Amino acid sequence: MKKYHEDLDFRGEEYVSDWTPWSPQDIRRKKGVLEAARLMLNSAMTAPAAGGVASIEGHLVYGQEELEAIARKIEELAYKNKAWTEAFLYEAVMVRDSDVIILIGNTRCHETPLDGACGLCGGGLDCSYFYDRKKHRYGLVDITDRSSSRMIDGPLCTARVNDFGFAVGSALWTARTLMVDARPFASIGMAGQKMGYCPKSGMVVGVPVAAKSKNPYVDVNVDYHLINMDKVLDSARKIYQTARIIRGFDYRKWVPKPEKTEGEEK
Amino acid sequence: MGHLIGKAYCIEHVVEVAKSIVMAIHKAPQITGKTKIEAEIIWGDDLVPIIEVLEPVAKAARYVQWDYETIKRCYEKGESPVIINIGGKVSRSNLNWNCGACGFDTCKEFNAYAKENTGGGQLGGPSCNWKIMDYAIACDWACAAAWQYNVDNRIMGSVGFALTALNYLPDSDIKLGLALGPPRDLVYYSREEMHKDMTYEMDKADMVRCVPEMFTAFTGGGNPQYKTKNDWWAPPEYLNVGYSDAAMEMMQKVLFEEIPEIVVKHSDAIAARYQK
Repeated sequence: MKKYHEDLDFRGEEYVSDWTPWSPQDIRRKKGVLEAARLMLNSAMTAPAAGGVASIEGHLVYGQEELEAIARKIEELAYKNKAWTEAFLYEAVMVRDSDVIILIGNTRCHETPLDGACGLCGGGLDCSYFYDRKKHRYGLVDITDRSSSRMIDGPLCTARVNDFGFAVGSALWTARTLMVDARPFASIGMAGQKMGYCPKSGMVVGVPVAAKSKNPYVDVNVDYHLINMDKVLDSARKIYQTARIIRGFDYRKWVPKPEKTEGEEK
Repeated sequence: MGHLIGKAYCIEHVVEVAKSIVMAIHKAPQITGKTKIEAEIIWGDDLVPIIEVLEPVAKAARYVQWDYETIKRCYEKGESPVIINIGGKVSRSNLNWNCGACGFDTCKEFNAYAKENTGGGQLGGPSCNWKIMDYAIACDWACAAAWQYNVDNRIMGSVGFALTALNYLPDSDIKLGLALGPPRDLVYYSREEMHKDMTYEMDKADMVRCVPEMFTAFTGGGNPQYKTKNDWWAPPEYLNVGYSDAAMEMMQKVLFEEIPEIVVKHSDAIAARYQK
């Protein structure tokens, strides 16, 4: 009976607009993206995997403070490696411009390898490349020492990483199907992993998702970390305010008017 | 005007679908943007070298036997699968990310190691893991595209091994095969082609060996009994661990005697296709 009344109550209206950012109308829009991101993460779970073994975990991250924290971590990483600097700074901007960040991780590549002697990790005919470089006893990898200074504590089981790529691919395919913009990023993955997202994973990839008039992940300009929508808007506020204060009149008494041109009625 | 009747035109059309799937492989997003990926389509009589290489491996590995029997029997019935050979260039890093995922501190050290060790594994290797990610995303998009075209498909490491052995896609150092069709439900899952090969005893033996804890009795004595028959206590059987001469000999024979013989038979013809 209760359900019947609820059904009768099915009415309402929602105004949706992407302006201004983080306003109620924008957050309604973001909620749609969150639903898409949830389906993307489900798709990652259904991707093919060697032996059909479950090995994927994920985090959905959304909210102004949450995205800002990831962006700042990426900016921190950008200065750790010259090869990263430019790209990572650009990608931090993309994070701020996203609606939802999906972090997808593989829980087995560092600890419970396929043990399939495929050779993908080190090019050999057995799994010794992986195990010889890991702390382990009789093939059980001990991951309790987390003091490695590397970004990723390799080596990893590359067969598992291959499965991991399948998972990320499926998430991206669903994004394509649902017409939301998404791209895979190493920067977001590594930053997310260092922040503790996907805590059981040996490798993490970030997939930011957005549904905006302009895809945030393509067609960027040079110096994107300096010249982007947030910066341009802030610049407009700065320049316009200054333009106002360099002149003055009391609008209640007098407002300057354009001069009459010839032939115009007085 | 036209009138297409029967199944032959459906089987032929799988090749056209495969071409569309290759578009998805090349369109797939990359993380690095620097991974070279290539794809070829192969079917019919041109599958014979692949089938021949899989035959000895099938004797040593059950999952390869599945793929081997399925591809071979469909081919022999005149319903050849169409296989997309997907290759990637992943054994060197031009990223300079120094992320450590490969096990080395720097890409430079990895590249030096890779130069000495490339191609030693059954599927190639060593690999830059970020390039493997790009490659795998492309493979996954191929599977997803096939799914959307309603063509049964499976991505196969077994075929990848055959492609590596026979040196198809010589510029790539990881190779997988995406088998497509013939056009019907469940070719590569719940495999009908395997029905006559799998007896009850084989199926049960697989479970006993591969899922041992299901068959293990009380372990408190330190020497767990194994329940492989109805009267499992008379006489009891025990789980043990040991080196298998037979398994190792089989693998050595397959890898170093039988496959090289098949490869030599086909290598000149395949290499000629890639001569520029």
